[in-house]
Parts: sequence; structure tokens; C-alpha cells
Amino acid sequence: MTSYLLFIGTITAIYALLSLGLVVSWGQAGMVNLGLVGFFGLGAYCSALLTKLGAPIGLGWVAGAALSAVIGVGFCLLTRTLRGDYLAIVTLGFGEGLRLVELNERWLTGGSDGISGIRAPFKDALGELYPWFYFALAWTLVALVAWMLARVLGSPFGRALRAVRDDEKVAAVAGKNVLRLKCQAFGIGAALFGLAGGLYAHFTSYISPDNFVVQLTIYIFLAVTAGGYSRLIGAVFGSLAVMTILESSRFAAEFIPGLSAVQIASLREFAIAVALIVIMQLRPQGVFGLRNERAGSARADAAAPAAAIPAPSK
Amino acid sequence: MSKFDRRDFLVGAAGVGSLATFWPRALLAQGAQPIKIGIVIPLTGATSQFGATMSAAAKIAVSDINAAGGVAGRPIEVLIEDDQSNPEAAVRAARKLIDVDKVVSIGGSYASAVTSAIAPLCYESKTALFTSSGADSITKTPHNGYIFRTSPTVTLQGTRVGQYALELGARKMFFLGPQTPFAQSYIDIISKLFKDAGGAGQGLIYEDKRASYRTEVDQALRTNPDIIVLGGYVPDTSVVLKDLYRAGFGGKKIGFSFGVNQVLAEGVPHEVSDGTASLVPSASEDSTAYKTLIGKMGRPALDSYSCQVYDHVVLTALALAQAAVASPSGTAVRDAVRAISQDPKGEKVSDVARGLKLIADKKPINYDGPSGPLEFAANGDVEGVFFRYEQVQKGKMALLKVA
Repeated sequence: MTSYLLFIGTITAIYALLSLGLVVSWGQAGMVNLGLVGFFGLGAYCSALLTKLGAPIGLGWVAGAALSAVIGVGFCLLTRTLRGDYLAIVTLGFGEGLRLVELNERWLTGGSDGISGIRAPFKDALGELYPWFYFALAWTLVALVAWMLARVLGSPFGRALRAVRDDEKVAAVAGKNVLRLKCQAFGIGAALFGLAGGLYAHFTSYISPDNFVVQLTIYIFLAVTAGGYSRLIGAVFGSLAVMTILESSRFAAEFIPGLSAVQIASLREFAIAVALIVIMQLRPQGVFGLRNERAGSARADAAAPAAAIPAPSK
Repeated sequence: MSKFDRRDFLVGAAGVGSLATFWPRALLAQGAQPIKIGIVIPLTGATSQFGATMSAAAKIAVSDINAAGGVAGRPIEVLIEDDQSNPEAAVRAARKLIDVDKVVSIGGSYASAVTSAIAPLCYESKTALFTSSGADSITKTPHNGYIFRTSPTVTLQGTRVGQYALELGARKMFFLGPQTPFAQSYIDIISKLFKDAGGAGQGLIYEDKRASYRTEVDQALRTNPDIIVLGGYVPDTSVVLKDLYRAGFGGKKIGFSFGVNQVLAEGVPHEVSDGTASLVPSASEDSTAYKTLIGKMGRPALDSYSCQVYDHVVLTALALAQAAVASPSGTAVRDAVRAISQDPKGEKVSDVARGLKLIADKKPINYDGPSGPLEFAANGDVEGVFFRYEQVQKGKMALLKVA
């Protein structure tokens, strides 16, 4: 049981990293990224391929995160005229496009065979302790990322992001470089998706394009929605809640008599959909709602006003 | 709206979480300790067309074994988990089966990506893995003998389909299939067979889950093939067949058992599917095991994959009975499977109850299941498989021959 809980706990940490990334780009900067699973896969493939060539695993993770960030910023520049639903649709297509590249560039990615035997850090040296080590490592990373994001989002940069989220025009009038802010937020989000991908690849030791399908995007959106889409603590809480629903339904299903295995499996999928509807009905703002910021708060006073050069108008 | 606050949500989530921790223990406390066998099969998602019959077959195997007194007095229990046609979900399911339920073996695993994902978990935790996936790469992993494949490999299936296509008199072959671990191998294998026979072969790999394959079909027909090999699963093969019909293709069509089968025959109009041939890995034609199983399921025919799931459960049970160890384990299963499945001196058995009885009497057996003679090479690949040559005739799969 312990090793199972450690495994699920580690996967939850990876979900939490993805959720934190989504909070930055969606919750803070207002850009819906339905292609997050694409960046997740990008990080996973980048790290897996680099470490195959002999690079250290730490470098693989950094490279995976960096590559995702670069692609994310590039993507953001390409789609700079798109907002809201239109951006969401394009990100969805982009994520799927990345999966198709992974599927068809067989010389690089092995196609749908995937990549197996991905190295795990210190696995032989640690032996029995390895699951504990990876669990601690993953959650330490979550804590570190959450702490750094809390600092960044609490700064004037974070306030400017929220201004862009709430109204791009107002932010531009107030002299904020909207495109740059959006690219930065999207890039930070993409970097976190890539980092989560690297963690995932070296944890399960096998990746294939089938790992990176839209289903995971939906789970992460559910997590972030449940937790409160603009809050870091909400992302972590939401990931725990989603994993609890996903895994506990596995055990609960054994106690429903008279249902076939197919019906039980369908009910479990159904539970996820119902959970999303119930949350949207009862508490659309999530468990941790949007925080109101007062202009005159101590933090805002302490921060110096940003450079007041107006962005060029369109 | 205000009645459901943050505290209620937290209490609820914590409650569900703690229940998840304690339920399995409550299960263990009841009655005699059953031997647990895990089944990871697609019940939802793109590859789930056989999920229902696979789980039914696993349950029939359990009742057959338990009706015969179980293994050394202990009943068998199968735990069926959904892989959601997704390796990520499959890994979580397999982890639960291995760590929480302590299963001795995992059976069923169907899609090659799913099997590749759960294979390391199985051989690292010394759990036997029985799979019905075809990708050649699976048994090339460092599995120390823990993987048994009951389905013929891609290479074998491709060769047989190619040979049959030549037998039908075809000279120009075109392969249409989705991007899978085996698509390119099929094209290479079948094209080579055609070239060696003085014909020609080409292939096109298309994108899965599309609503129309008109472009791909047009591209295929431009080469004037006299036979089209359908390499997809049921959903995309149905679409390709419809588009071939619309394009007025008059040549021969041949597919694999995972694409051209009863589910497909029932799902598309007769004029679209009529005459499409299919090769199904199977037991010999007069296999009593197969006939008994379809009788118990109340079906006129059964796909090979569900038969294999039945055999995965039976092989585990017979191997454990043969091993006669105090604490059943995946290693015991691994070490005893070949003794009960391919002992040349053993009595041919196709009924699990009879097999268990002979093992109890210390007599050697050679189990032949509904899915085939079940003989494994050193690397875990199945050997000596028969194929059922079938053809869709008026919405039904008609048997042409067994070879």
C-alpha cells in the first residue's frame, strides 16, 4: 500500500506542477492553454532523448523546461492577435500537433513504440528508498516552484499580469507592455509543463505519444477549476482533489454490486464530468476564490510604479 | 450556493481519501484468502471494442477455476482495471494492482503502448505479465522471463496476411493503416512478400480517429491495387471501408483480427463490408476449449483477444497449482507456466477443471486453451499459433479455413 500511495503521491506532484503552470498562464494572465499536454510531452521527450545521449538527468529537466519555454514564447508571439476562445482553440490544435510530430518522426521519437528504459536518478544506489526519494524530490520541486511563483506574482510584475488578464486595453493604456507580459506568463507556464514532463518521463521510464492526449489536459483544468483558477494553493489543492477522485473511485467501484466492469469504468469517467459540473454549479470560483487586491495595500505602496512608456497602439 | 463552503469540501475530500486507504484492508479481513490476479484491459476509450467480452471471459475463467475447487484449496479472484486506452492511466492501474492488491500476475493488456508502459512495473516487481499485444519490441525488454505473449507477433501476423493475399491471386498490394507500433513493419513485410512473388506493394500511414479517409483512399486507388490491406482498428477501418465503397473499389480487401471482426461486420452496411477477409489467431478449428467458452458466454463467436484473457487467468491458476508453493508469487507463475502449457509428455487438456485435477494427481499436463496451443519460446513469444481465415458475408464472419 505504501509504495502505491508514494507512486500516486508522486504523480499528484506532477499534476500539481502542471496546475501551477496553468495558474500562471490562465489564472494570472488570462490565456487559456488547452495545449498544455503538448508542452508536457515536449519536456518529457526532450529530457528522455538528451539523457539517452548521456546528458545528466538534471540537465535533461532544465533543457526540457527551457525548450518548452522557448516554444511557448514563440507560440505566444505567433498568436498575439488571438484572445479568449480563439486562443484556446489554437492551443488545443498546437498540443495535438506536437503529439503528431512525436508520433510520426520515428527517427527521433521512435513513433508510437515510444521510448522505453528512460534512466531514473539514483535508482540503483537507493534501491528500496527510491520511491521515497522521488516522492520527496517531486514535492520539494512543487514547494520551490510555488514559493518562487508566490514571490513573482506578488511583485509588480504579477499585478501587471492580472491587469492584462482583467482588461488588456486598460493595461496598455496604463503603460504596460501587454505582449511582453503575455509572452512571459505563457513562457513560465510552458516551462513548468516541460519540467513536469521531464519528471514524469524519468519516473515511469516509458513515454509514448499516447501518454500525451487531451484527457490529461482535462484533468488539469478540473484541478485548477476546483482549486480556484487564480490561486497557487488552489492548484496544489485541486491536484490532490482530482487524484483523490480518480484513484478512490477505483476502490469505491469494487463495492458497487451488480455492475459489469465496463459499466464501472464508464461510471468512473462519468464521475469526473459530474465533479466538474457540480463545482461549476456550487462554487464556480473554486475552493480558493479570487483575491481582491486593494490599491492602497501595503505591498502595492512599497512597489515602485513600473516604467510609464505606453505600448505602441495597434 | 453558500451551503457548500470550503470546510465541507475539505472534510468530504479527506473522508474520501481516508476511505480509499482503509477499504482494501477491510476486504482482506473477510474469509479465506483468495489468490489475486490483475486484469488491465481497455474498457473505455479508442481501443475498448473488446473490453466487455474480455472482462466477461476473465470472470468465466474465475468461475471455472473456483468451481473446480480453486488452486490448492484457495479461490481465485480477478481484479479488473480499466486502462482507459491510455498508458498513463494504465500505469496507475497496474501500480494499484501490484502494490495494493499484490496480484501474482497481470493479464489482458491489449494496446502495445499500454503493455510497453506497464511492462517495467511488472518485471521490476516480479509480477508475471500476460499480454495480447503484438509489437515485437515488447519481448525484447529485459524482462527476465516475466512476460508471456499469447498473441502472435506483428512479424508473424504480417507474413501470414501477406501470404494469404498472394494466395488470393493478388499482385499489387496497397496497405492502409494508422500510425501504430506495427504499421511500418506491416508495410515492409507484406511489400517484400509481394516483390519476391513478382508483384508490387506500397503503403500509406494515415492519421487515426478521422471522420473521412477519402484522400487516403484516392491516393491508394491511384496505384491501381488489386488488394487493399486494412491495418487499422475497428473505428478507422469502418470509415476506410465506407470510403472504399464510395470510391467504387472492386478489388479484394483483407484485414487483421483487431480491425475486421464481428464488431465491424455488425457496425457497417453489408454491401460495404462484404467479402472483406480477416485473419484471426486462434486455436485449431475443432478446439473444444473455444467451443466451450463461446457456449458459456452465449455467443456465436468470440474474438481472439477475449479468448486470450481467459487463458491468461487459466495459465496463472494452472502454473500456481503446478508450482505448489506456500505463498503464490509472480516468480512461481513464471517458473511453472511452461511446465503446464507445453510439456510434450503431458496429457493434452483443454478444460481447466481436468487440468487442476491431473496436477493434483501429480500427472503432467499440456494445456491448450481457447486462444491456441499456448507454447512459449524462450523470450516469451507464443509459438505454433493457428489462424482462422474468415470473411465477412452478409454482416457475419464466415469461417473459410484454419491453418
